Amino acid sequence: MDSQEPWNLENDTLKRSSKEIPHRPTPHIMSTSLLRKKSDLAIVSKVRCRLLRQVLANLQEVLLGTKLSLLFPAIPLAIIAEHYNFGRPWIFALSLLGLTPLAERVSFLTEQIASYTGPTVGGLLNATCGNATELIIALFALRQKKIDVLKYSLLGSILSNLLLVLGTSLFSGGLANMRKEQKYDRKQADVNALLLLLGLLCHMLPLMFRYSASSGALTADPILQLSRVSSIIMLIAYVAYLFFQLKTHRQLFEAQEEQGAVDDVNSQEEAVVGFWSGFAWLAGMTAFIALLSEYVVGTIESASKSWGMSVNFISIILLPIVGNAAEHAAAIIFALKNKLDITLGVVLGSATQISMFVIPLNVIVAWIMGIHMDLDFNLLETGSLALSIIITTFTLQDGTSHYMKGLVLLLCYIVMAACFFVLEKPLDQPSDLNLAA
Amino acid sequence: MASQEPWNLENGNLKGSSKEIRHVRTVHNMSSSSLRKKSDRSLVSKVPCRLLRQFLANLQEVILGTKLSVLFPAIPLAIIAECYNFGRPWIFGLSLLGLTPLAERVSFLTEQIAYYTGPTVGGLLNATCGNATELIIALFALYQKKVDVVKYSLLGSILSNLLLVLGTSLFCGGLANLKKEQKYERKQADVNSLLLLLGLLCHMLPLMFRYAVSPSTLTADPTLQLSRASSIVMLITYAAYIFFQLKTHRQLFEAQEEDGDDAGSEEEAVLGFWSAFAWLAGMTAIIALLSEYVVGTIEAASDSWGISVSFISIILLPIVGNAAEHAGAVIFAFKNKLDITLGIALGSATQIAMFVVPLNVIVAWIMGTRMDLDFNLLETGSLALAILITAFTLQDGTSHYMKGLILLLCYFVIGACFFVLRTPLNQPNAFNLGVQSSSGFSSA
Repeated sequence: MDSQEPWNLENDTLKRSSKEIPHRPTPHIMSTSLLRKKSDLAIVSKVRCRLLRQVLANLQEVLLGTKLSLLFPAIPLAIIAEHYNFGRPWIFALSLLGLTPLAERVSFLTEQIASYTGPTVGGLLNATCGNATELIIALFALRQKKIDVLKYSLLGSILSNLLLVLGTSLFSGGLANMRKEQKYDRKQADVNALLLLLGLLCHMLPLMFRYSASSGALTADPILQLSRVSSIIMLIAYVAYLFFQLKTHRQLFEAQEEQGAVDDVNSQEEAVVGFWSGFAWLAGMTAFIALLSEYVVGTIESASKSWGMSVNFISIILLPIVGNAAEHAAAIIFALKNKLDITLGVVLGSATQISMFVIPLNVIVAWIMGIHMDLDFNLLETGSLALSIIITTFTLQDGTSHYMKGLVLLLCYIVMAACFFVLEKPLDQPSDLNLAA
Repeated sequence: MASQEPWNLENGNLKGSSKEIRHVRTVHNMSSSSLRKKSDRSLVSKVPCRLLRQFLANLQEVILGTKLSVLFPAIPLAIIAECYNFGRPWIFGLSLLGLTPLAERVSFLTEQIAYYTGPTVGGLLNATCGNATELIIALFALYQKKVDVVKYSLLGSILSNLLLVLGTSLFCGGLANLKKEQKYERKQADVNSLLLLLGLLCHMLPLMFRYAVSPSTLTADPTLQLSRASSIVMLITYAAYIFFQLKTHRQLFEAQEEDGDDAGSEEEAVLGFWSAFAWLAGMTAIIALLSEYVVGTIEAASDSWGISVSFISIILLPIVGNAAEHAGAVIFAFKNKLDITLGIALGSATQIAMFVVPLNVIVAWIMGTRMDLDFNLLETGSLALAILITAFTLQDGTSHYMKGLILLLCYFVIGACFFVLRTPLNQPNAFNLGVQSSSGFSSA
């Protein structure tokens, strides 16, 4: 399983040469490729036994193939901390650190598997697994019946994508490319904006419903029914979006190709990990993510008390920063290279996926489990979501960019973070804002 | 009064050749023309008496000239049901069915009259009568002091135009024209979006006013005064919009012309001026009758069918009232003539928001009924999001099926919301803020 040619970090055009199927990488794939390192197979090739050599090469590729692998030791440390009861805030922090490289590796492995299955299934895989970390954290929170953590971590992920990641990318990209014109295709941004607005509608209707009714007791069931119906509709919209993106209007979403791609002929990448090997690694990594997510969700209150911040703040601000770290770095790097289509693809695609797929999926799973989860995310959070969607949509609607746009988005995020920082509501209080009480 | 050339359904360019007046077809005219049928004159021309022949030709043209005329029998059935007390839900259902072809015929007759009056007055006529059904239903509800039915049916009509009609049109048009690029003139959409946003402001201010003031302050009267002043402003805006559309910036609103079919089709009116006028008066009277039945039996139908009055007012009534326009908009989207589709959907929404709603407030003022522009949180919120989403959808000048699908799904979500909302109509809408609102469900 020796690789022919390691990933060439400088070459942004990745064309597969396996069989005749042209595998055009989606923005998500290309984003994480920037965090890869060249695997130096010199040491491994000295090992005599062929099987051992293959295993070690595999190991080296998967575990050491990223710059984030510095954080890998946090995983065993977190497990040790859990067993020896070091202190729950420590478990929380170590688990968070350990999740970061795992998220990146999962997308790497998804990409490897995608190279065997062809572009459409690969795109689907990416669309589903792109936010694996957030999904797993959410499912664990659901299982432990911490509905608020669930709601707010997903909401925070959308806010983080739309404002923080996009803001820093546009800001850095704008500063780096001050003399050049920065353009992108706005059609892609438009479709994502529309989906986010549909999601916003589905969140705002239960909220307004609750406020407009005369008594809180009468609205609980209708809101739940409405949320469940809306979730089904959102999933339908997401499936249609995948169909739109992968079948009928593919050309809108294809990653920008580099001019003068003389490097095309030279760099032929093949998958560096075999199909079943990749699958096995994926399963293993997902198991680790599940373990660390369980620690995170279980220790979040202790960390909150110990560090003096509200659980809302940790859920909305801290968790998503960790979960999105890899995509964040990649988005900035592509913006610096003035490839805004890819940046937007990463950011908006991730936000849309969480809004239209992960959240409704959680509502449906809660329905199956008999847990009472609706789409009513409370006034402050829903209002922040609404404003961030509107601000981002306005920012992206003219097809050009400069650093001021990025700075404004970034400052919006800082304001929202400050808002949730000063909000010190304990987690167990019923969250209906009855102003008459 | 035999027509020279029947309506040519395939020809998108319809230039009247009567005298020298170029009768440029407004989008509304063109929409309902797609539901017309060719009149077969052979049967009628065999009748010997000339007057009778004319009368029968007239009848045939008016009553049978549309594909919707299958629903005409519902009208006498509804009247019979009312007289013999069949059961109020039946009266409601039959009246609804009967209103659908009547609405379409009224627009046809308006178009006929417009031939004789020239383009400007014709445009004005269309602008006023385009939503005749909604206007008449609203006036009857006002007369019967069912202010909520008024508010919600008009709101539902705007929502239906912006999300349902536009959504299905863009969706079907996108699927049918998958390979082609679908463009439209966004300036028209922009003006309509601006007017809708002004209307939204006029609705949101009374609502926020009610929430913002402390409980001890009475807000009913100031809200009413604000609503009446806003209505006058909205009517002024609408008049300016008509002036903009028909006089100074006509070219933005002209229907898309198809190349190469100009010379072939010359239409004349198929009905005489006074004849059309008489038919129009008659049809309007029947619409009034059926509307009275609808408004009177709405609660009975709601109890009998188990759905809330809000749902019937916001979802069912507008679907019926807009049926003809809906079909026309979808057909034109199939032919990739999105300017016409947008003209129909947005024009109708603007007309209701800027003309019918304020007109009702003024009429209520004259009648001494207390109607304001405060349409309650959930409904106003839905309206705000619908306008926002539609404005975003239309602002880049192109279209694909995904846009239509999202608008349609938004409508389904809003429909589901009002379906599960089971607040009885008479309950005071007391808010948690401690404000005992008297203007929420005003049935003064």
